[in-house]
Amino acid sequence: MGVAGGIDTRTQRDGGQPLLRGKAVLKNYGSVQAVRGVNFEIAANSYVTLLGPSGCGKTSLLRMIGGFEEISSGSIELDGLSLATVPANRRPINTVFQNYALFPHLSVEENVGFGLAYRNLSRADLAAKVGSALAMVQMTQMSKRRPRQLSGGQQQRVALARAIINEPRLLLLDEPLSALDRRMRKDMQIELKDLQRRLGMTFLHVTHDQEEAFALSDRIIVMNHGLIEQQGASSEIYHRPASAYVADFLGGANLVAGTIRSAAEGSASIETAIGVFEVPALEGLKPSSRATLCLRPELLRLSGKDGIAATVTHTVFRGAYWLIEARASNDQQLSAVIDDSPPNAGASIRLTFDPNRAWITAA
Amino acid sequence: METSRTGAWLALPVYSAVAALCVAPLLILLAYSFFQVSFVEIIKEPTLKNYARIAGSETYRWLILKAFGSGLTISVVTAIIGYPVAWYIAKRVTVMKSAMLTLLLVPLYTGDLVRIFAWRMLLGAEGVLNTFLMWTGAIREPIEALLFSSLATHIVLTYNYLPFMVLGLWLAFEALDDRLLEAASDLGAGKMSAFRRVMLPLTVPGLVAGGMMVFVMVVGDYLTPQLVGGASGITIVSAINDLFGTAFDWPLGSAIAWTMLAILALLFCAAALIVSRSTLGAALTSGEA
Repeated sequence: MGVAGGIDTRTQRDGGQPLLRGKAVLKNYGSVQAVRGVNFEIAANSYVTLLGPSGCGKTSLLRMIGGFEEISSGSIELDGLSLATVPANRRPINTVFQNYALFPHLSVEENVGFGLAYRNLSRADLAAKVGSALAMVQMTQMSKRRPRQLSGGQQQRVALARAIINEPRLLLLDEPLSALDRRMRKDMQIELKDLQRRLGMTFLHVTHDQEEAFALSDRIIVMNHGLIEQQGASSEIYHRPASAYVADFLGGANLVAGTIRSAAEGSASIETAIGVFEVPALEGLKPSSRATLCLRPELLRLSGKDGIAATVTHTVFRGAYWLIEARASNDQQLSAVIDDSPPNAGASIRLTFDPNRAWITAA
Repeated sequence: METSRTGAWLALPVYSAVAALCVAPLLILLAYSFFQVSFVEIIKEPTLKNYARIAGSETYRWLILKAFGSGLTISVVTAIIGYPVAWYIAKRVTVMKSAMLTLLLVPLYTGDLVRIFAWRMLLGAEGVLNTFLMWTGAIREPIEALLFSSLATHIVLTYNYLPFMVLGLWLAFEALDDRLLEAASDLGAGKMSAFRRVMLPLTVPGLVAGGMMVFVMVVGDYLTPQLVGGASGITIVSAINDLFGTAFDWPLGSAIAWTMLAILALLFCAAALIVSRSTLGAALTSGEA
């Protein structure tokens, strides 16, 4: 943005410092705590997703980073400098708003060029920048139209062009794809990821859709009830969830409650209604404490005679694969993914899994 | 087909009422404006003499200009006062919003005369304001110009028609999406810039709507100038009133009425054209966003 008094966007960062750092960030609305003291770090040039159900505090957190809400306590730093005294219009941060918030009285190109008015640009430079931003999102043909004459996907692109034209250090995206239909959403996911890579910009994307989070992110921050449940690489979050909540929210996992029998470094033995298993485990689980065994559906295999005994309740054709729902002892529901020739409902089956790919997490 | 015919029949009473109560009297007035009066008799021979008399009379031209001047002044003054009030009610008041709006309208329930006389008590030589100023020692003699002056007329007119401006603006503010202001600030706009580039253009429909209401009502108000305006209290509407009453010159009165009506219609068309041509037409027709 390069506004006098704001933060110089071209400051070189030293190697180890994250682009954005939150320290004990807390937000109260009256007596309600929306964000309850969270710490987080976002590395430069990464695509980070803030994932959680509605009301988990993710939008409040995003709004504090953008400067639209005051922080009740704690601090947010950009390049090591506190943003506390920097108003929204001076932050080198731009936002793609939910439902886009395009200016209805301005044309597409006027919308996109809105923020350039605050930089000293010649008329020609301004037009060139607007042109290239519109080209970036393939909206060159629509430059004279008004927002209401555009489809949802087109409005989305304009909002994106408007937000990236000032080359912000950080781009915030607030549920940007939620108003689009499923096909459109898939296409836009690919475009967003592609755009982030091409621009080398840092994207922080808020969503409640775990599929979207996986499709886009290098890192995911999972929030629940105003707290961060886990932050890490997407695959780590998926395969090594830090709590049963995270495992469940990311979808699909078979969660089996049990008790830790013994714990060693990096693994543990858990006793459950469907058997005793020794598999990799979260650090710090104590013997005889309650814990959860996570078995991803794609991990379970049909086997001849060994393994967990279960009865098939449903088979669902999903196109690329079959999803089998089965009931094991103690009414434990298990779902498994198989490629073809599914057993019929009511059939007795046995299920095995590779113990190295299972995971024990907190209850 | 069947339903549209039923609809047409159902709409018939409305059309008849509009035709009988609104269009017909105006047409009768229009017809009269081309007649002449001789002593107390109306001569029904079409002529343009009445209109020529208006155009040739400095007094009538001045009164017509004064009426529209007052309309414009009061529209501007109420807009300046009403804008922050409407913003506050729409954007800052949450729980008490309907109470605030009701409060705004309560004075209107008391009737014109009561409100105008209330202002006479406030502004008169022995009124509240003069008494207070003399008590504080700020003045020695009561300020006579407070009442029975053009200033008094404009103060009372502003007071009387402010609620209509606030209502028009309030609607525009309710339709204004706050996220647009956040977006402006996100893109680098300071408070003034966001106001100039986003808030003001998107609330102009409210300014136009409120302004038109105030304008028409001020132009047509002859009670206020008459009761608090003193020597300045003569208006074009009171002139029409005199022509229909004591002077018994219905044709000339009708002609003046129609002249006013035509000018008003032209002004409205111009305003509508400006709004629809400007970028605001979009905001007006598309509503929220």
